[in-house]
Amino acid sequence: MGVPEALILRIAEGRDRAAYAQLFSQYAPKLKAFMMGRGLTAIEAEDLAQDALLNVWRKASYFDPSKASATTWIYSIARNLHIDGVRKQKRAQTLPEDLWAPEPEQAPDTHLIGVQDAKTIGVLMQTLSPEQREVVRLSFFEDLSHGDIAQALSIPLGTVKSRLRLALLRLRAAFETRAESKSV
Amino acid sequence: MTSINHHLDEVILLDYHRGRLNAGQSLLVETHLEMCPHCRTSLRLFDAIGASMLEEVVPVDMAEDALELALARIERPEEAPEPRVAPELPAYLKGIDLPESVRAAAFKPRYWGAPGVWMAHLDAPKDGRGLTYLMHVKGGMQMPVHDHQGLEMTLVLTGCFSDDRGAYHPGDCVSCEAGDHHSPLIAADDCLCLIAANAPIAPRTLLGKLLQPFARI
Repeated sequence: MGVPEALILRIAEGRDRAAYAQLFSQYAPKLKAFMMGRGLTAIEAEDLAQDALLNVWRKASYFDPSKASATTWIYSIARNLHIDGVRKQKRAQTLPEDLWAPEPEQAPDTHLIGVQDAKTIGVLMQTLSPEQREVVRLSFFEDLSHGDIAQALSIPLGTVKSRLRLALLRLRAAFETRAESKSV
Repeated sequence: MTSINHHLDEVILLDYHRGRLNAGQSLLVETHLEMCPHCRTSLRLFDAIGASMLEEVVPVDMAEDALELALARIERPEEAPEPRVAPELPAYLKGIDLPESVRAAAFKPRYWGAPGVWMAHLDAPKDGRGLTYLMHVKGGMQMPVHDHQGLEMTLVLTGCFSDDRGAYHPGDCVSCEAGDHHSPLIAADDCLCLIAANAPIAPRTLLGKLLQPFARI
């Protein structure tokens, strides 16, 4: 198995079909599983995984490994497809290359997260309390409103939101500290 | 551009990321994102969190012929994307320095809600009690005190207004939850805002009550 970043670059540079087949086998079953978790049927999730990987093939030249890991980039493509499907309307500004494009002017209080990969976040997730991790996991994995999450955990809606806010603040702070220490 | 001091709530941003907002709320979030590097960073963080979960997920087998299909699909020529025709900018918005997201959205004809105040609703399918509209207020006006019955997000596009919690400049976002009430004061220049409300507002003063049927908000 090749490193996914290298596979995408091979697709971008040489339209490498063997690289695409490897990338497809690595990611399509995960995307299918993830989208079933978000409430799609097996057939819908399979179609979305197919479409997401097709977009990876077509947009491979936009991929910049210094900005995002392969998994983060592929996730953002699948997320956009999912939202477009949910909203059933096409808008101009939904492509991941917008969000992952270089920032034009760098304000001193902002840090690019780009180079951080999904594994780093996985490690940072472990620094959250189990309660915080639970609401984050439910928010990303399941197709539940915050009200549904509150019901599922038998806690007030306000508690769900405050836990989520705290967890996201902690992840962001840890993220930015790492980005800073890397760039120094 | 001056730096933005009032950001979107992380929970709203996450709901945007999850695709759980209606068209008007999404437009407001996208417009704020266009203006705000801080919140764009949050969106990247969400992508990285989602990606970490994608790595952990237990895979589900694809159909037997899935790879074959995938390899066939990449050989087909890519259909040209449908040409996107930007809606004609209404005359009442011409000459105003607007973010691209607002420029690309379609708004209905404006109407006057009160002297010095016009509004224009987003041309989008009705979504529950949700209302999204542009509101333009003449400089120096004080809005009547009103209560909020649901979540209302206001994004300043041009000009400036203030209430008892602070001052809001272009790019700033203020959210009012059910039960909040305020009486915004518009600064010297005219102020244009994009507002996405979950429920109608409830005016507290007689004047506000008299105006509400005309204002249609």
